[in-house]
Amino acid sequence: MINFLLARIGSAIITIFGASILAFVILRAVPTNPARLIAGPFANDEVIAQVTSQLGLDKPLFVQYFDYIVSFFAGDWGFSYSAGQPVLSQIVQRLPASAELALYAFLFAFIGAVFVTVLVSFLASKWLDRLLRLLSFISVGVPPFWLALLFLMVFFEQLGWFPGPVGRGPAPGSVHTGLFTIDYLIAGNFSGFATALHHLALPALALALGPFGYLVRLLRANLLDIVNEPFVTVLHAKGVAPVSTHFQHILPNAFLPTLTAGGLILAQLLGGSVLVERIFVWPGIGTLVIDGILRQDYAVVQAFIMLSAIIYIGVNLLVDILYGYVDPRVRRS
Amino acid sequence: MTTTSATPLLEVEGLKTSFKTSRGIVKSVDDVSFVIPAGTTLGVVGESGSGKSVTSLSIMRLVARGGGSIDDGVIRLNKPGQPAIDIRNLDEKSMRRVRGNDIAMIFQEPMTSLDPVWSIGDQIIEAVRLHQKVSRAEAREKAIEMLRLVGIPAPESRVDDFPHQLSGGMRQRVMIAIALSCRPALLIADEPTTALDVTIQAQILNLIRRLQKEIGMSVLFITHNLGVVAEIADRVAVMYAGQVVEEGPVRAIFSAPRHPYTVGLLKSIPTPGSSSNPMASRKLDTIGGAPPDPVALPHGCRFAPRCPLAIDECQKAPPPLFPVGENHGARCIRWPEVSK
Repeated sequence: MINFLLARIGSAIITIFGASILAFVILRAVPTNPARLIAGPFANDEVIAQVTSQLGLDKPLFVQYFDYIVSFFAGDWGFSYSAGQPVLSQIVQRLPASAELALYAFLFAFIGAVFVTVLVSFLASKWLDRLLRLLSFISVGVPPFWLALLFLMVFFEQLGWFPGPVGRGPAPGSVHTGLFTIDYLIAGNFSGFATALHHLALPALALALGPFGYLVRLLRANLLDIVNEPFVTVLHAKGVAPVSTHFQHILPNAFLPTLTAGGLILAQLLGGSVLVERIFVWPGIGTLVIDGILRQDYAVVQAFIMLSAIIYIGVNLLVDILYGYVDPRVRRS
Repeated sequence: MTTTSATPLLEVEGLKTSFKTSRGIVKSVDDVSFVIPAGTTLGVVGESGSGKSVTSLSIMRLVARGGGSIDDGVIRLNKPGQPAIDIRNLDEKSMRRVRGNDIAMIFQEPMTSLDPVWSIGDQIIEAVRLHQKVSRAEAREKAIEMLRLVGIPAPESRVDDFPHQLSGGMRQRVMIAIALSCRPALLIADEPTTALDVTIQAQILNLIRRLQKEIGMSVLFITHNLGVVAEIADRVAVMYAGQVVEEGPVRAIFSAPRHPYTVGLLKSIPTPGSSSNPMASRKLDTIGGAPPDPVALPHGCRFAPRCPLAIDECQKAPPPLFPVGENHGARCIRWPEVSK
């Protein structure tokens, strides 16, 4: 198990370096001159040359890359000229909002999909199964931004059950994790927790529905495959009750693809969602990145690419480790 | 063999099991009767699709999973000193106590019969703890003991192995360990050696025979291999198109078969030298034609279309099972003329 872990961590580090080279090269290949952008349209050549050397853009590429990596690990992720502050502090401000939204969307999608699908396959009802297939079909097809607007129209405007597009709601007094729901819980403030959850519900559900449908379809197909395996007949012949057969044997055997897909979905959600964040005025990272791209604020974009890569690789590492727990064949090979 | 008590361990009378398919209703088992006295082995032989496996799954009441239903008949299990169990009318919860406990089953495919994500020890422990009130530690001891009994080397360490770490023969041994862990009164072995190498086949057969003597259980042994039947069975039931066409003591079936299908099966066993030295031996016989379409069975004798002895009368009415010798019956109107 230790070797397995070390091998996975080793390959994760190599992948992150690969991603860093990619992020670096792509942004250097863009024709825009960052020094010109920063100095503004009326700056003369002298000023631009000064900014260029300030940014280190006159050095050879590999030296620039080396400087970039060293400062990245030192916590200097560059300076956002459009916001007038360091990129890292911008990200630290905004990442928790996106992370909290992503985690709740993921929990809704993953737990909901596993629960509903396993229940329906256990009940083996043809009608429930058809209903579930229809539901998953629809949820995969509906775009989240449209759903977000629909939710606002129905649950905010018409029914008034949920808050409108006002962001995350009131911030908790003391910050521990940056996740409002968790911080309220730590403070023991349950009404604050409920308010934060209330604000999260609509955007999280809008983001969750697509992944939910996808996971339902995946898990349903895998469960159907396993149900017909000969070992399931053997279990019945041993006298194992249907509940144990389903939850202790069939589900673990059918679960691996869902776990993998779940990891990818979580990583994708953690990268922030531009449209849903915009619609709900959510102070997340998606908005930051879009602004960064539009203003050609390359330090922001570069930092975001690196951050996404690290999140993807980190989540996948976690999934690999979980894989080993679920399936002994992965652990031993 | 153990003495035969007055009531046999298992009685099957007039069993009918059918499956609904897109082409119509398939009567996989049609009026099958036999008994298995305590401690004895009944060998059931026949081609693929003759209803052998469906008969065994009916006894376990596991046909519903594949879309089948038991339409008629009696399946009775008589454990010594206990009231008879009417398997067909048992509620599902009581049936689960019979499965794996009174009647255990091993299957044809050892490679896919074990749960790949459970250790083999846990799969034995699961069976033990389902049917016996023992702690986990005791069940684990029992699992190691069973693995030793079925001849798995170093059972103390292999108990934590997973199925993919074992060969096919070893997995079939594990299946036997699971099946026998609760000392069943009846073991149903559905082609347990078909998927294995010939040398491993002999080992598994010897193992089943040895354990049968030790535990004193009855065995229902399903195979399409007559050689295996000669080795292991006390009595033989030959099945064709969902019916038992001949049933009798193993000696009588092999020396004086009274159904043309049995004769055909016996003739199609290869004998040494049959292909290497054609001058010295007979040509390998086959039974011409193919088994009947299960949704459109012949009205009279089901074997008549392929039978060398068939006459017009055979097509008219289904033949009954004629008593043709001591404890020996054959479903053929021309049985006195049948010989090897």
